Amino acid sequence: MSKALVLTGDGINCEGETAFAFEQVGIKPTILHINQLIAEPKQLTQFQILALPGGFSFGDEVSSGKILALKLQYALGDILSDFLEKDHLVIGICNGFQALVKLGVLPRSDVHAQQVTLTHNRQNRFINRWVSVETSGDNLFFRNLDRFMLPIRHGEGRLVVPQGKESEVATDIQPHIALAYETDVNGSFLNIAGLVNEKGTVLGLMPHPEAFVRWTQHPNWTALTDAQKAQVPAGCQIFENMAKALRN
Amino acid sequence: MPPVEVESLSESSLPLDQAVIYRVDVLPLSDDHVEKVRVSGLGEIFRYPVYWFRSASAIPDEIQRIAQILLTDPILQRPVLSTVESFEASCLNWAEHEGQWVLQQQFLPGVTDNLGKTVEKSLGLIFPHQTLPNIQVASGQMYLVPKTHLSKAELIQAAAYQLYNPLVQKLSAISVLNEPGAGVYFAFPLVEGHVQQRVETIPLDISEDALVTLSQQRNLALTLDEMKVIKGYFENPKIRQQREALGLPQWPTDIELEIFAQTWSEHCKHKIFSAQIEYTDASNPNYPETITIDGLFKTYIADSAEKLKEKRPDLLSVFKDNAGVLQWNDTSAICFKVETHNSPSALEPYGGALTGIVGVNRDILGTGLGAKPIFNTDVFCFAHPDEPYAKRPTMLPPESILQGVRKGVEDGGNKSGIPTINGALVFESRYRAKPLVFCGTGGLMPLKVGVRLGYEKYTQPGDAIVMAGGRVGKDGIHGATFSSEALNQDSPVSAVQIGDPITQKRLLDFMLEARNRGLITGVTDNGAGGLSSSVGEMAQITHGAAIHLEKIPLKYAGLAPYEIVISESQERMTFSTNNFEVLKALADQFDVEISNIGEFHTRGTFDILQDGKLLASLDLDFLHDGLPKMKLRARWEVHKVHHPVCFSPCKDVTPVLLKLLGSPNICSREALIRQYDHEVQGQSVIKPLMGEFQTAPCDAGVIQPVLGQPEGLVVSNGICPQFSDWDPYHMAACAIDEAVRNAVAVGADPKTIALLDNFCWPDPLPSSRNPDAEYKLAQLVRANQALYDMALAYETPFISGKDSMKNDFDDGEFRLSIPPTLLISAIGKIPDAAKAVSMEFKTPGDQIFLLGRTHVHLGGSQYYRQMGWFSRYAPKVHSKSAKYLYDTLFTSIQQGWIRSCHDLSEGGLAVGLAECALGGRYGASVDIETVRDDSPELRWDEALFSESPSRFIISVSPDHVEDVKKVFEEQPLHYLGEVLPQPELKLVLEHQVLIQTDVETLRDAWRRAPAKCYESGMTP
Repeated sequence: MSKALVLTGDGINCEGETAFAFEQVGIKPTILHINQLIAEPKQLTQFQILALPGGFSFGDEVSSGKILALKLQYALGDILSDFLEKDHLVIGICNGFQALVKLGVLPRSDVHAQQVTLTHNRQNRFINRWVSVETSGDNLFFRNLDRFMLPIRHGEGRLVVPQGKESEVATDIQPHIALAYETDVNGSFLNIAGLVNEKGTVLGLMPHPEAFVRWTQHPNWTALTDAQKAQVPAGCQIFENMAKALRN
Repeated sequence: MPPVEVESLSESSLPLDQAVIYRVDVLPLSDDHVEKVRVSGLGEIFRYPVYWFRSASAIPDEIQRIAQILLTDPILQRPVLSTVESFEASCLNWAEHEGQWVLQQQFLPGVTDNLGKTVEKSLGLIFPHQTLPNIQVASGQMYLVPKTHLSKAELIQAAAYQLYNPLVQKLSAISVLNEPGAGVYFAFPLVEGHVQQRVETIPLDISEDALVTLSQQRNLALTLDEMKVIKGYFENPKIRQQREALGLPQWPTDIELEIFAQTWSEHCKHKIFSAQIEYTDASNPNYPETITIDGLFKTYIADSAEKLKEKRPDLLSVFKDNAGVLQWNDTSAICFKVETHNSPSALEPYGGALTGIVGVNRDILGTGLGAKPIFNTDVFCFAHPDEPYAKRPTMLPPESILQGVRKGVEDGGNKSGIPTINGALVFESRYRAKPLVFCGTGGLMPLKVGVRLGYEKYTQPGDAIVMAGGRVGKDGIHGATFSSEALNQDSPVSAVQIGDPITQKRLLDFMLEARNRGLITGVTDNGAGGLSSSVGEMAQITHGAAIHLEKIPLKYAGLAPYEIVISESQERMTFSTNNFEVLKALADQFDVEISNIGEFHTRGTFDILQDGKLLASLDLDFLHDGLPKMKLRARWEVHKVHHPVCFSPCKDVTPVLLKLLGSPNICSREALIRQYDHEVQGQSVIKPLMGEFQTAPCDAGVIQPVLGQPEGLVVSNGICPQFSDWDPYHMAACAIDEAVRNAVAVGADPKTIALLDNFCWPDPLPSSRNPDAEYKLAQLVRANQALYDMALAYETPFISGKDSMKNDFDDGEFRLSIPPTLLISAIGKIPDAAKAVSMEFKTPGDQIFLLGRTHVHLGGSQYYRQMGWFSRYAPKVHSKSAKYLYDTLFTSIQQGWIRSCHDLSEGGLAVGLAECALGGRYGASVDIETVRDDSPELRWDEALFSESPSRFIISVSPDHVEDVKKVFEEQPLHYLGEVLPQPELKLVLEHQVLIQTDVETLRDAWRRAPAKCYESGMTP
């Protein structure tokens, strides 16, 4: 059975439902406080998946994901680099995505160079609503998925690239775009909602797949037919795809 | 563990003369990345963050590194570093902004600065192998104001409550032209005053006038009678003898007097709800009837719960802990509590609301052996921002209050990872001086923790008293006594504070782990009254406690001993343990500071010591039971009869309906709802807004508290202060009905519903400034009588509650009281959450019915308010038929016969139908003739807009119409019409079209919310 380490502590707050989502697809989750991992970094080698769940690490102070990224870089940098080099999977959801971007792991795996950023929504406020997203390219996380809905719950989900380099970055980033909003929900560059690294083993996304693992989480579930609800919920499918990828 | 974080560096302040101050301005890299804020009166303003570092020695290289690595986003920003010697305003590119103003906003000394604190704690992260000198960090904001004709003073005044709150922040205005000395740019907010303050003895053998003055001067909020009872205690020969033997002075130390004031405050002791009341019902002036009530709480609230105990074996802990506890299933229990945070929110809306929400979270964390907060619910009562309001009272404008509170709840809920799943917003002009902010939280706890019951406390003599979480500062001193008095512009500013959700989240994570490991034997929160209340209350378990002040960690030096005892500094829990060492090791791992500050004993006293010297020792029984009951009088008379005004309703109702849909108490709350995370923790089933367009306003929230298990928890509320001016009995009955009705509408089993009461009342104690106190108290009595009657009729017990009895503004000239307000919060259960029902029409052809009887209930209705009409008939509940209806509706929902269900409230049937349509994509064709089956005298507009309680609109698929008709055979079930495939709402009566409009128009009218209320708002 594959094992996933679900990181928590310092204001991360989606560890419970993220662990639950892994359980649903037959992956064994272990919720671990980041300080407990720092105390014994070798623990990470027992896992095939590292999940950075959503939340407000360090209260989003300075900027979202920033200080968590520094903590990961300075206290766990080496063990993290080893983990990334193997064909293990990493998923960063919302605050976890923000941390991966600020760490430089996404879009191009480079732990010391942040290439893009995630910052305040164009509306300059927090948004909780379900949005339509579409997948882009072929990667293991989104097999059997094309267009679907997931909730966004963030204040800082607008992807921004260095000014003056938009066209250059637009080309470079293309292969890394894994998920895009169907419409402009927060002003994100190219409507980007999720990125993968070169190998396609690290996924970061703003929408919350762990919040759609049963149909009764969907905002319109009370009106959907039984046939519609017989399909695997999209969030669950993403977790199932991880399970499948590790089985192969 | 590697040293990843530097332990609280501000522990000891640096000597002033040696410190070096660095300043880091974090500027946008390009114009595209400039952050702009709109300020009314000033226009669009640029904003960027600034940091100050106060270091024991020069560390230019380190600051450079900190600025680049920690403070700056390399894609968006660049740091500009300066010291007082190197500073030139020109380096900030201000030269090109000649003639403009720069505003610098800083926290006042001692105010919680979460950003500064986070940066300070993170310094060790980026210097893992280096010992840094002692560094303190402060954060602030810089604003660049466009050219303006305003003077400096006018500018600062215009910015007040938009860019800063003078109670917690300081704003300096600097003209770019006249560049001043660099001093102002390098001011560091430091708490001054390092002198160890002494304990005073306060003689009470003084005149009655002097006793009153003493209470006022020290903000004790104790009455003369209470001061005399305290005086009597210290004159008691036995007490005198004991004190002498202990080496204590005859008269109280200031600590002791303060402990009395906290423990006996209205806030903590609920004196009015315990008072003996002689109540005269003079509604018939010829035959007044008088009864004596031995405590409202005991007579009406506790007694009704007691009477329902047999029918409700799920009641585990009622009115004895920080929250009421219900059994949920074989392994878990649910607890629920709603608090008010009105006074702090009136002064500093952001901090007030934020501490309100994290405060009630701590109530849940402090219930039994500790519960995990799983949902929040928030209800606000405000004056509407668009409403013209008089210059007096000189309090914050409603817009600032709404914005600040909204942001406070957002940060409090979202950052704590607790979903805000339900709420309400009430606008009424009488809330303009004293807004009401209700913050509620539900929690989940294990029924058993090892061999212990999760909802009980097991503190033993000899257990250590542990304080965990934040440190103690001067913030929040006199919060309990301050909320027990009328508000005015001179209310104590130290009562205001700002919360730190992340410190509390760490505390929460740690405490739940400690609970699971059996390390906690009892727990309570530090809220009003601080340690004096939390330890004082827990001491009752073992009958004694002693705390040692030198063991209590402080934010800064200079606190008087009494301040340490009563400070309400946030993010603190108090608990008992028999294994402090193991607990401490766990706390270190979670980055939580805990301290062993004393021990529980059995000597019958509450003792305070410092370095071994006894400073206070009070008899615990006297402290908790020595307060004599107040004796009050209440007189009810039918106060204001509004005579019906002659009028003729216009026949074109569509514009009336559209205006109602957009009115403050009916329009969409979407702008607000979207800013609160209502899905975190993965439990969501019925969200605040559902349907294809996510616009359907649901009647209650539903979650699955235990992931993977089918049971649904329903959370709803009822509040209708608009009916208080008629008769608070019926107002209260309607509020209870609304809460229960909302829960039943989404599918809750009426037999599982439990309630909370939150009273917010104008002061019912007589004084020269309050001549109609007896009437206000009678209003309170009547509301309580309704609570009792309704609880028994619906078999819905009250399990916890709260009262806030001083909701008046009074500056000596002008007095403004809120309308009597009662919030009822309900929780209930759906056996299978997948059977929950939402409110929007779902399928064309579905048959639409009205459930319940419609009467001439127009008094206080939104329709009459809009038309400016009055009626003497406000809504009344018929509880017996309602209960029957609710039970039958539950059965029908369980059978799967009900496709949509919506309760009728503000705006009545017409608004209800419009909402069912605008929630989805389908219209409806409806004939309202049947509504008059029960009351043939109803005029057509009364049938449309009456706000009779206990009613629903349901839609039923044609397959199940016969089932539904059969099950409601003896009850008021009225056929209205059917769901149309096209998005059009058509309402007719006697073949005459009353309303005809498309659904999009309805939706637009309803969603055109007063957006300015919900913008991001000011965040200190």
